[in-house]
Amino acid sequence: MGAGLRLAQTAKLLLGVWMAGIVVAMFLVIPPYVGLGDAGRIIVMHVPTAWVTTVAFALSAFYSARYLWKRRAADDSGAVAAAEVGFLFCALATITGALFANIVWGTFWNWDPRETSILVLLLIYAAYFALRSALDDVERRRRLSAAYNLFAAVTMPFLLFVAPRLADSTLHPNCAFIQGSTCDGVWLETEGVRIGQLGDVVLALQGLEQRGDVAVAHVEVRTPGLQNVALLEPTFELASGKPADRPEFPGQQFLLAVEAVDLANGRALLNIEAPGTGLLSNSRTFWTFMAANLGFLGLFIWLYRLRADVLVLQERLARREVVHELPA
Amino acid sequence: MNFLLDPAIALYTALAVALSVWIGVFIFLWRVDSAARELRRRLDDESPARPAAAPRATLEVRGGRTQQPVSITEPKAE
Repeated sequence: MGAGLRLAQTAKLLLGVWMAGIVVAMFLVIPPYVGLGDAGRIIVMHVPTAWVTTVAFALSAFYSARYLWKRRAADDSGAVAAAEVGFLFCALATITGALFANIVWGTFWNWDPRETSILVLLLIYAAYFALRSALDDVERRRRLSAAYNLFAAVTMPFLLFVAPRLADSTLHPNCAFIQGSTCDGVWLETEGVRIGQLGDVVLALQGLEQRGDVAVAHVEVRTPGLQNVALLEPTFELASGKPADRPEFPGQQFLLAVEAVDLANGRALLNIEAPGTGLLSNSRTFWTFMAANLGFLGLFIWLYRLRADVLVLQERLARREVVHELPA
Repeated sequence: MNFLLDPAIALYTALAVALSVWIGVFIFLWRVDSAARELRRRLDDESPARPAAAPRATLEVRGGRTQQPVSITEPKAE
């Protein structure tokens, strides 16, 4: 066994132990999240698989571009392998997201912009595999599918990152991924700009007062079409500088929070929080999440290289059979 | 089997299931990886003994006349 092979085998064994550790940490190290209970643990599987999907499809596009440039069969194998593994991870992200949605939103699928865009992405790459299987001529198959793959890759960032954020209304917790990051929120004033909008919900700051060591905002909330109008009173701890009570939006699972106040000028920074927002503010969750990202990336590299190897071997075997069929 | 879903131990049941799935996936991948490596090694070993993939030609002399070389070429490599 060569040194390189020994190193690769050791890395694979380490990956096995690493991922097993992540599975254990997911259940035993991460604390239950307020409002989500044990469902919040799925972030350790859901988000890394979605990130690896991005890496996989980008790598697949890179191989396709290199194939079109150099016309090497190995590049075509690399593109197919990365796309296949990316498709697998994309499906896993969709399934784990649906499981999360069922717990938090009460339904596996509700055509949320995030769900719809990832389904479209899956269909685009399913079409890539369909295209490959529909063409018999090998050269033509490789050339056309490589060109298609480049177009598919262009849609990927839009579908994964842009489209869900363009939508006015999504239940997906967009701000959950980076520790400390928040949605922008909106500053409202009691004596100025009183009305603002978060997503498709209209907020009107009716008043702001201090009760002991907390500030209380009186906010009128109107959902689209005035289906629900309610007066909510989120509070803010002046001593700690953190949101306290976060009342729930009427008829929705968003929470309304005051993230900052300026009592002297009657101003409050209001923001919405979807279930799952702020999961990573817990350090144990954060580090398990980062370890999972690394582990899934390693797993992806192993899988796609293995698949590319198998494709190359299949090709070599096919050529070997052709040679055997030649007349003696 | 309902005791496995008891809230007190449901988390450990889920952990055991997830860990079993990962171990199963890992063993499967390890075996496929080993099989692929072995197959590649065997193909590499036998490659020199195989007929050359490049065009071959034979020259025959029949009745004192030299015939056209007959080439045996494998189909275009994919």
